[in-house]
Amino acid sequence: MVDIGLFTQIVINGLLLGGIYVTIGVGFSLAFGVLEVVDFAVGEYVMVGAFMGAVLAPLFGAEGIFAIPIVLVVFFALGALIQPLIHHVTTGDRPHPLLMGLVFTFGLATFLRGSVLTIFGPNNRDVPSSLLTGGVAVPGVGTFPVVRTVTAVFGVTALVVFMYYLYRTRGGMAIRAIAEDRTNARLMGININRYQSIAYGAYAALTGSAGVFIGMTFTANPGMGLQYTAFAFFMVVLAGMGYLPGVILAGIVLGLTQSFTAVYISGNLVLLVLFAIIYLVLLVSPAGILGKGEWAT
Amino acid sequence: MTDDVPFLDRIPGARRHWYVALGVLLIVWPIAFGNFWARIGVGALMWIGLAQSWNMIGGYAGYLDFGHGAYFGIGAFAAGIAMVQFGFPFLVGFALALVASAAISYLVAVPTLRLTGAYFAIATWAFAESMKQAALVTGITGGTFGLSLPRSPDTLIGIAVPFEIGETFFYYAMLLLCLATMALTYYLFERHEFGYRVKALRDDQDAAESLGIDTTRVKRQVYVLSCVVAAVFGSVHAWYIVYIHPNDVLAPIITDRMVIMALLGGLGTLTGPVAGGLLVFLLERLSSVFLGSTTFYLPLIGTLIMVTVLFAPSGIIGILRGEVDRDDVRKNVRELGEKFDLL
Repeated sequence: MVDIGLFTQIVINGLLLGGIYVTIGVGFSLAFGVLEVVDFAVGEYVMVGAFMGAVLAPLFGAEGIFAIPIVLVVFFALGALIQPLIHHVTTGDRPHPLLMGLVFTFGLATFLRGSVLTIFGPNNRDVPSSLLTGGVAVPGVGTFPVVRTVTAVFGVTALVVFMYYLYRTRGGMAIRAIAEDRTNARLMGININRYQSIAYGAYAALTGSAGVFIGMTFTANPGMGLQYTAFAFFMVVLAGMGYLPGVILAGIVLGLTQSFTAVYISGNLVLLVLFAIIYLVLLVSPAGILGKGEWAT
Repeated sequence: MTDDVPFLDRIPGARRHWYVALGVLLIVWPIAFGNFWARIGVGALMWIGLAQSWNMIGGYAGYLDFGHGAYFGIGAFAAGIAMVQFGFPFLVGFALALVASAAISYLVAVPTLRLTGAYFAIATWAFAESMKQAALVTGITGGTFGLSLPRSPDTLIGIAVPFEIGETFFYYAMLLLCLATMALTYYLFERHEFGYRVKALRDDQDAAESLGIDTTRVKRQVYVLSCVVAAVFGSVHAWYIVYIHPNDVLAPIITDRMVIMALLGGLGTLTGPVAGGLLVFLLERLSSVFLGSTTFYLPLIGTLIMVTVLFAPSGIIGILRGEVDRDDVRKNVRELGEKFDLL
C-alpha cells in the first residue's frame, strides 16, 4: 500500500534536490564540451565548496547562504587558473592526451581531498543556516523544506543566468563555437585560451556554490566528493554527451531516484541503484535516455 | 668452460653488481633489520605488486580502471570466507581467490570493456563501490562485523608446518609473489607477442583491429589477468593482517594508491610501478611516522601527480632514463605560460 502523502512528499524532495544537481551537470557537460576533457575533480569542487560554506558561515552569524558570493568569486578565479594547466596536458605532442587530462584532474582531486582531510580531519561538518530550517506546508500537496526549496531556486536561477550568457552574449557564442570546433573557432579570431578559462571558471563557480547548498542540505565531509563525481557522470551519461537539455531531465531523474531509493529501499543503497541505472543506460542506449547525445564510448 | 668464469660475470647486463647486491639485500632484509623493517618490506612488496597489476590494464592496455581495488577485496574475502566460514586451509582460499576473481572479472569485462576513457573509469569505480556495498550487507562476508582469520601453522595447507607463520614468513611470501608478478609482466608484456598486441590496442584500436588483432579478446585477457594478480595479493594480505572488513579491503583508497603508484612511476613500463610504489608507500609511511599525520601524503601526492603530468608525462622512470631533460621542461614551461591569457 503506497501512502499518497508520503509519495508526493518524496516527489517534492526529489525534484527540489534535482535542481541543484542540474547546475552541477550543466557545468560539467560544458567543461567537457569546451575542454574535451572529463573532469574527475568535479565532486571535489562540490566538497571544497561545502567546506568553504562551513568555514565562512560563522563570519556571517552562522548563515551559510551569505558565503555564496565569496565562493563564486574564489572558484571562478581557481577555475580560470586551473584551466590553462588542463589545456596544457591535453594538447601538444604528448601521447594519450585524453588519458593525461583524466590523470591530471585525478591528481587535482587527490590534492583537494587530501588537503581538506588533513586540515579538517575525517569528520562531518555542518554548514549552518538557521534562516533556512523548517518547511512550508502547502495544504493538499505536502511540505516544502525551506533549505531544499532555496537550493532549487538558486540552482534554477544560476542555470538561467548561465544559459543567458551562453546563448545571448558574444562571450557565450565564443564558448559555444569553441565547443563546436576548436580549430575553426581559432580561425574566426576567437581567443581560445581566454574563453576556455572563462568557461572553466564559470563551471567551477557553479559547482562550488552548489557544494555550499549541498552542505546545507546534507553535511560537509572530506570523502563526499567521489559521490558527486559519480553523479555528474551519471547525469551526462543519462543526458547523452553534449546534449544540454538532457542534463535537466537527468538531474531530475537523479534527484527522484535518490529520494525514492532512500525511502523505499535503503539510504545506504542509493549509489548501488544509481550504478545499476548507469550500467543499463550505457549498455542499452549509449547516446542517453533521449538518444540525442554523442555516443558514450 | 663456463665453470672458470666467476659467478658474477655469468649474470647478463652491465649493472650486474647492483642486481646481485639488490638480490642479497632483499633476501637478508627481514633477518638483518628485524620485525619493524620486515613489516615495511611486506607492505612495500605488496604495493609494488598491486601497482604492477594495475599497470597491466592501466599502463599497457590504456584502460583507466578505477575499480581495481575491488579485486584486492574479492581476493581477501575469498580467502577469508574459505577459512572462516568453511574451515578450509589457506591454500584452498588462495585457489578460491584465483577462481572467484577470474570469474567475476570476466563477467565485468564483457559489458564494461565496450567503454573507454572516463566512461570505463567511472563504470569500474561504480562496480567497486557496489562490491563494497554488497559486502557490507551480506552475511557470508561478516557484513559490518568483518571476518577474523586464523593464523596458525596448520592453516597453510591443513597440517602443521615446521616454521613460524609470522612477519618473516609473510615477507618471503610477498617477495615471491612480487617477483613472480614482475617476471610475468616482463615476459608477457615486454617479450611475448601478447605485449605487442596489447600496446597496439592501446595506441590505436582501429589500426590494431585492421591488423587482424581480436581486440575484444585481448582486452578481456589483460583485464582478467590484472584482476587475478590483484586478488592474489588480496588473499595473502587478508591472511597477513588477520582481520578484514569491507571498509578496509574494499576501500576506494586502495584503487587510488595503485593508480597513483603506477602513474608516478611511469605508465606502461616494467620498472615504473616499482619506483612509484616505493615512493608513494614510503612517503605515506614516513609522513605518518615523522609527521604523525596519516593523510598529509595525499595532497603531497596529488601535487606530485599534477607536476609529473604537466612536465614529465613519462613519470619518474622517464626522468631517470633521460627522456625528459632540462630543455623539455623549459619548453614546457614556456608553452604553459602562453596559455595563461585571461583578460
